[in-house]
Amino acid sequence: MQVSRRDFLKLSGLAVTALRFGNGIRWVGTRPIYAAQQAPAIHVLNRLTWGIRPDDLAKIEAMGIEGYIDWQLNPDTIEDPLIDEFLANHPVLSGSARDVARAESEDYGAVHDLALWHRLYRAIYSERQLYEWMVEFWTDHFNIPIADLVVEKVIDDRDVVRRHALGRFRELLLASAQSPAMLYYLNNASSDKEHPNENYSRELLELHTLGVDGGYTEQDVKEVARILTGWTAQDEAGFLFDSEMHDYGEKTVLGTVFPAGRGIEEGLQFLDMLATHPSTARFIAYKLCRRFVSDAVPASLVESTSQVFLANDGDLRQVMRHILTSAEFMEAQNQKFRRPLEALVAILRVLRPGLDIRDPDIPVYWFLEPMGQLPFYWHPPNGYPDAAGAWINTNGLLSRWNAALLLPLAAEGWYEDMSLNLNAVVPQTATVGELVDTVSQVVLGGDVVPEDREHLIYYLSDYGDPNQSTGETLRAERLASLLGLLMASPYFQWH
Amino acid sequence: MAATQLKTSRRDFARLAGVIGLNSALFPRWMPRMAFRPQQQNAPGDILVVIFQRGGMDGLNVVVPYGEGSAYYDRRPTIAIPEPDGGDNAALDLDGFFGLHPALRPLHEIYQAGHLAVIHAAGSPDPSRSHFDAMEFMERGTPGEKLTSTGWINRHLQTSAWQNDSPFRAIGMGTIVPTSLRGPVSALSLQSIADFHLSGRDDQLAVLQRTLASLYHVPAPVDVLGIQAAEVFASSDILIRLAQSGYEAEYGAEYPNSDFGQGLQQVAQLIKAHVGLEVACLDIGGWDTHEDQGSANGQMASLLDDLARGLGAFYADLQDYRNEVTVVTMSEFGRRAEENASAGTDHGHGNCMFVMGGGLNGGVYARWPGLSDDALDDGDLAITTDYRDVLAEVLAGRVLNPAVDQIFPNFTPTPQGILVPR
Repeated sequence: MQVSRRDFLKLSGLAVTALRFGNGIRWVGTRPIYAAQQAPAIHVLNRLTWGIRPDDLAKIEAMGIEGYIDWQLNPDTIEDPLIDEFLANHPVLSGSARDVARAESEDYGAVHDLALWHRLYRAIYSERQLYEWMVEFWTDHFNIPIADLVVEKVIDDRDVVRRHALGRFRELLLASAQSPAMLYYLNNASSDKEHPNENYSRELLELHTLGVDGGYTEQDVKEVARILTGWTAQDEAGFLFDSEMHDYGEKTVLGTVFPAGRGIEEGLQFLDMLATHPSTARFIAYKLCRRFVSDAVPASLVESTSQVFLANDGDLRQVMRHILTSAEFMEAQNQKFRRPLEALVAILRVLRPGLDIRDPDIPVYWFLEPMGQLPFYWHPPNGYPDAAGAWINTNGLLSRWNAALLLPLAAEGWYEDMSLNLNAVVPQTATVGELVDTVSQVVLGGDVVPEDREHLIYYLSDYGDPNQSTGETLRAERLASLLGLLMASPYFQWH
Repeated sequence: MAATQLKTSRRDFARLAGVIGLNSALFPRWMPRMAFRPQQQNAPGDILVVIFQRGGMDGLNVVVPYGEGSAYYDRRPTIAIPEPDGGDNAALDLDGFFGLHPALRPLHEIYQAGHLAVIHAAGSPDPSRSHFDAMEFMERGTPGEKLTSTGWINRHLQTSAWQNDSPFRAIGMGTIVPTSLRGPVSALSLQSIADFHLSGRDDQLAVLQRTLASLYHVPAPVDVLGIQAAEVFASSDILIRLAQSGYEAEYGAEYPNSDFGQGLQQVAQLIKAHVGLEVACLDIGGWDTHEDQGSANGQMASLLDDLARGLGAFYADLQDYRNEVTVVTMSEFGRRAEENASAGTDHGHGNCMFVMGGGLNGGVYARWPGLSDDALDDGDLAITTDYRDVLAEVLAGRVLNPAVDQIFPNFTPTPQGILVPR
């Protein structure tokens, strides 16, 4: 077998090796990029937060690793003033379906745009960082695109995903099954006893609970569709069981007979069956382990996690505590590739102390959209891909480089509706070497390898002199892009 | 959704950023140039364009078996396509038994010119009705086998007898590289030629790019990000030039202003630029029509309109390349013969495929199983032609890679006689 591309890489590798730096030629040596073992606290912060901030370092130091994990597992006890303020400023997010519908009809597109910004805003500014990861996980798991369902999606995000993100899976599943957004999106709302619509019943088994190899048949899909006939929704009133549409005949699913003559209760019974099924436990455990531990999912951890799931009636807090305090988790440093949304949020969290975003279109539409992960814009029911393989490609890499390099230029007045005070982000330093170390600390919570430190010093100083003093001019002309380079670097893409 | 259309700001922004990035003189001399030579190092066979219709296209309303009569029409009381009668809402006749959906008029013209092959009752033999399993199986080229780690197109590139070091050898249009392209041979993902350039302070672009290249340079072991970074550097220089020179379609071709249409136009641009393109993949989504599918008009008709106008424009634009490009379409499965309560169709099995190009025997290829109760496969159109039969013939006959046994392991293709060997 020939891999001709390898020859190409060799070629371009040589070209990159002979870099010209300033006045002289320097040969770039080989170096291991992720060789350095991270401190456990940094690893925990890397995974529990959406990007490490100096405050987070202080907190985990004060609380200890387990204390910090427990704190984050109890979001209701975490003060969240910036989010409270955001919600107070946008009361429509707390309104009824009727309120949301009215707001959307008065200003078409406004609620849609707010929903997207709200997603980003909470990931950037909330103190409940792990909770926001759970929200992201379930948003993908019970994926519903916002297109055509703006009102229902806003309600679903709040009353299904956010309400139960760290609660019990059983309640989350039921809330989702009765959510108008889901009922409309997967067409159960229009299914009836004459010609059942199988869309929801199939994805319920395949994506929401048992998993595609969870032991059900095509016949089961058809029978589940019959059980769920009549589960529909009415505008603004929400979920409704319509007995006229329901099939009252006998059904058999997964070997269990559902006798004739029963209405909504057989659907409730079936959802309970699913929520406590060993295949569901294994599937949810597998997906959580892939999300929070590694794309190379450790089989031992999936097994023990599914046991915890079953023993605790799907208590997601217990399940997450098990995963986050496991040896497998602690060993999986830098194994998750930041998806576009996560990369953008991490960039904004770095800049946050000096950042003033007056127009959310800048992060959302100018930068995130070309990266291919607008919130709530994945159309198929399986949610945005989780594993790195789907995201590592030229378009994705270039668009995140551009976001990393362009966003800090807010400090140089590039955007009318977004400003950035870099002095609030990066403290003053005496020398160029110190500046690189300080910015590495701010962006990565640690150092880069010596070779990369040299590259960055060469970026700041023509002669690569780490002792050159950091003047005001240098800060004004190079600091924003130095931040950009570190946020565009390979270090920042993994966590 | 309208929200993205409401936004003009991103466009303005792209224009702004474009000005900064466009001066390719800013790119340092040492950056990898076109490391390949146009033409002579190119593949000997056709350029392959693979279109995946995600969601499960309803082939029974695309290539309509109107000759079935009541076996078709009784199952679809509200969504059936009327048999050909010359009217705007009726099927466009192909052979006296099948007709194309009326939104496919541009394809009908190509059919009449003898450059379209229609394969019906085709698909992947695995019985899964799951979108995600069915897509993965189809794109890996090994139905039913979950352990295959590479896509069929990647295996084709790995096994080709020729060399091609162009970064444009294989491209996926969009933000995610499709499974069929994944594997050891790196593929370029490209959303927009115009936006494919590094942006930053214009007075520092060269040094920024140099520094980034250093940060991403990890010689060994092979680093997945490092490979992609090298691809970006190798390709952006050329794409900047292409963006600068602009593009005008030829022979009156008008591409739809959709992601699909614009994607095809950019593929045409790359083909005409002779940058070493061998395979391009495009996705067109939205085919999961469980509800309000529509008939001659409606939801699915507009998808077909986009598909047909896109392919029609591509065909016209590439008139000078007609014997050098072959287009294949596929979808993970067809849909249930009977419509459901929501005026839509649920997941099915057999489907239709199209092959378009100058190097084929136009016509309908169908070992038609019929739509009677007994003929259906669990309520769905049965599959009598394995989709790999069609792909194997394209690969061996037009793309000139005979290593079909490695591209589709454990599969012996049956000759279909669709392609004219190059």
